[in-house]
Amino acid sequence: MAGGMDLGTSSKGGKKPLDAMINLVPFIDLMAVTIVFLIMTAVWTQLGRLQVSQSGQSTSEQEPPPTQLQPITLLITEKDLKLTVGGSQLDPLPITRDAKGRIDTEKLMIKLKELKTQQPDQAAITLSTEDSVKYEDLVRLIDTVVTDPANTPLFPSVSVSPASAT
Amino acid sequence: MAIVSPGKRFGKRLSHSKVFGHGSAGHKSTNADLNVTPLVDMFVILVLFLIANFSATGELLSMSKDIQLPEAAHTEELTLAPVVQVSQQEVVVSGAVIGRVEDLAREDYLNIPALEEKLREMKKQFEDLHNQAGDTGAFKGDVNIQADKQVQFRIIKKVMFSCASAGYGNISFATMSASPDKKPETAMR
Repeated sequence: MAGGMDLGTSSKGGKKPLDAMINLVPFIDLMAVTIVFLIMTAVWTQLGRLQVSQSGQSTSEQEPPPTQLQPITLLITEKDLKLTVGGSQLDPLPITRDAKGRIDTEKLMIKLKELKTQQPDQAAITLSTEDSVKYEDLVRLIDTVVTDPANTPLFPSVSVSPASAT
Repeated sequence: MAIVSPGKRFGKRLSHSKVFGHGSAGHKSTNADLNVTPLVDMFVILVLFLIANFSATGELLSMSKDIQLPEAAHTEELTLAPVVQVSQQEVVVSGAVIGRVEDLAREDYLNIPALEEKLREMKKQFEDLHNQAGDTGAFKGDVNIQADKQVQFRIIKKVMFSCASAGYGNISFATMSASPDKKPETAMR
């Protein structure tokens, strides 16, 4: 065991050897205790949050949107996604799913990027959602409209409203 | 089994050989050093990995087997706030069952009165506590909704409306952090 500093024999006439062994026992003890502590306090599930607001709800911190910007609404139904800019509705995007059953957002992303190019100052979007839409799909679409795959913000201010209210 | 020094070892037959064995010069030393370098290396790597993954905020949500959170890539860090748990069976706040999802789905009301009442009570408790400490304006209205991914929006909208009515306007959806989707062309590079 690597215990004790070996400084050679302490004979009076002899030279001390230059190589000395460091006592690693306290270091290993410290490491073992640290590892046990870290494993016990570790959080293995990585959680996050998506900030949303209810449509029509205004807080004092939020500034009123500039009037020249056209409001963007994404209507989510079970079968398709309908984007509305101002008063005009764009072509509906039928919902397709990947092998894991998640909504395929590639076409929607292209449309959102186009809209962002047209209105770079627009940061708000309303997701008008039908009652039968699953929470998983809603979260997936919120995640899509917030940021593009290159991490460039698209529409970070997301409002959610029931479809019947629009 | 005896601990022996590292190095070449020959069979018993040659142990007394002057060439291969240690000969008859003397007995083997009973002291042997264990090589602790790999152990120390492993410990250092393990500690670094655990420190890199260490979360100072701790577990803010109690994970339940009834609730499978959806995945999202572009999330913010979870903050400490009241949690409304929505499973496929029931709605729970701070361990108190508010109602069954089946019953809530059948009702025509836009809000859930019991949830609203419970949240108002929690808000009052929070404000009283902070007023006593002289900390006014600490209430920001944050609330985390921890819902199962199969729950329909008809329940989520009621929960959201009830939270907003009770003064909890900063609503956050709790999600599992996932890696962002990559385009095939990006993945090819």
